[in-house]
Amino acid sequence: MTHTLHRRGTEESLNKDYVFLCMAAKGINEDGSEDKMREFLKIILRHEPANIGDMRTGNMYDTSIEEILAKVTSTSIVHGVFTDRDTVAIVLRELKEADLGMSIVVSGPFSSVEEICQAAGLTPHSVDYSADIWGKREKLPSDEILEVTTMCGHAMIASNLVKSLVNDIKAGEISAEDAGKEFAKLCECGIFNPSRAAELLSVMASE
Amino acid sequence: MRIDDEACIGCRLCPPYCPMSAISMDRPAKVARIEQDECVECGVCLRSGICPVDAFIEEVHSWPRSVRAAFSNPLLVHKETRVPGRGTEEAKTNEVTGQFRRGFVGVTAEMGRPGVGTRFSDVEKVAQALARVGVVFAQNNPVTYLMTDQTTGKLNSEILDEKVCSAMIESTTPVENLPAVIKELREVASQIDTVFSLTLSTRLEPDGSAPCEKVLKELGVPVYINGKTNVGLGRPLFEEVSA
Repeated sequence: MTHTLHRRGTEESLNKDYVFLCMAAKGINEDGSEDKMREFLKIILRHEPANIGDMRTGNMYDTSIEEILAKVTSTSIVHGVFTDRDTVAIVLRELKEADLGMSIVVSGPFSSVEEICQAAGLTPHSVDYSADIWGKREKLPSDEILEVTTMCGHAMIASNLVKSLVNDIKAGEISAEDAGKEFAKLCECGIFNPSRAAELLSVMASE
Repeated sequence: MRIDDEACIGCRLCPPYCPMSAISMDRPAKVARIEQDECVECGVCLRSGICPVDAFIEEVHSWPRSVRAAFSNPLLVHKETRVPGRGTEEAKTNEVTGQFRRGFVGVTAEMGRPGVGTRFSDVEKVAQALARVGVVFAQNNPVTYLMTDQTTGKLNSEILDEKVCSAMIESTTPVENLPAVIKELREVASQIDTVFSLTLSTRLEPDGSAPCEKVLKELGVPVYINGKTNVGLGRPLFEEVSA
């Protein structure tokens, strides 16, 4: 699943949006992987992530962190989200030192991730490129709405909800920060970045 | 998913939450309704907790409607692949599995993404286009399981009218076949009633370059500045043997 791919936005905005993913390869290194993925989450939690989650359980906005940690299984896919590259660099160094033996994927601007890997003494192995949206593009919402909705790769965030909450922000009924957290609850995997969403929603509400 | 008419109080809170815009208000009856043909059974309306009177009722569906939840609710694990979500491990574990090797590129068309949804009739059109240029479909992929013929990309006809949030057609092909793949995708893209997001997955060369990136540039395919990087920490490492 390419759920952390295809996030859209400007370079400036995407530089505030990094996702770590950790998982085992089925039938190869999954024995005992639940403890290693739990350790991955503990490393992430030491650095004030914008979000964490497990595809099997939920995220830190709809489930307790204790429950997420307790329910990790060998088929879990666990995540952590950060908003700045300096923290990403520190986390990656700690993950390298922890030597968990699990696959780790970092989603973010390639130029930044490449430099962060270099600084950590890591040679990237493989990449997934996002090569645009094809077909009936007239069915898509505006680019500014897509910047919010594509932060949930499983499309659990409706474009109509973005419009609705932007209206609520304009009306002073909800803050951009709380609207960002409302979206984060819907993205079960915990890869949604509520901090970046709050910035994007504030801009939309001011237009 | 359906809404209990007796329980619904017509508060109008739920329609914006539906990713497929399948919930609307029945004004004369003063209740919300779900258009069953558009509902992909993703469960967002229920999980959001937005209904103040718990009027959403999640039903267990039989074949072929059962494929809707399997491809739309990310909390469900495909029983065949044991991978939650809609695809395989693809490049995420490539340093361990060797799924994508040097000289090859992974081509994934995620039908219906972002946020539009897709019928399997459109999934079949794109799968057949890819089959025509000789790609090899990923074996541990839920769409591949629904193919009745992997050499043509033909899907089980019983599911063609079913709508899902998204469905990933995952395949591998030699890098030199990429121009033919892109040509075929350009043609079929004009024949579908939805969108797809295209992913190219590749093993990096020792100098950090990716041969497919140059090919995509020559073909005029836009590549985003951001993407996924497998940093190579998984063990045991897959050892690639040169041909």
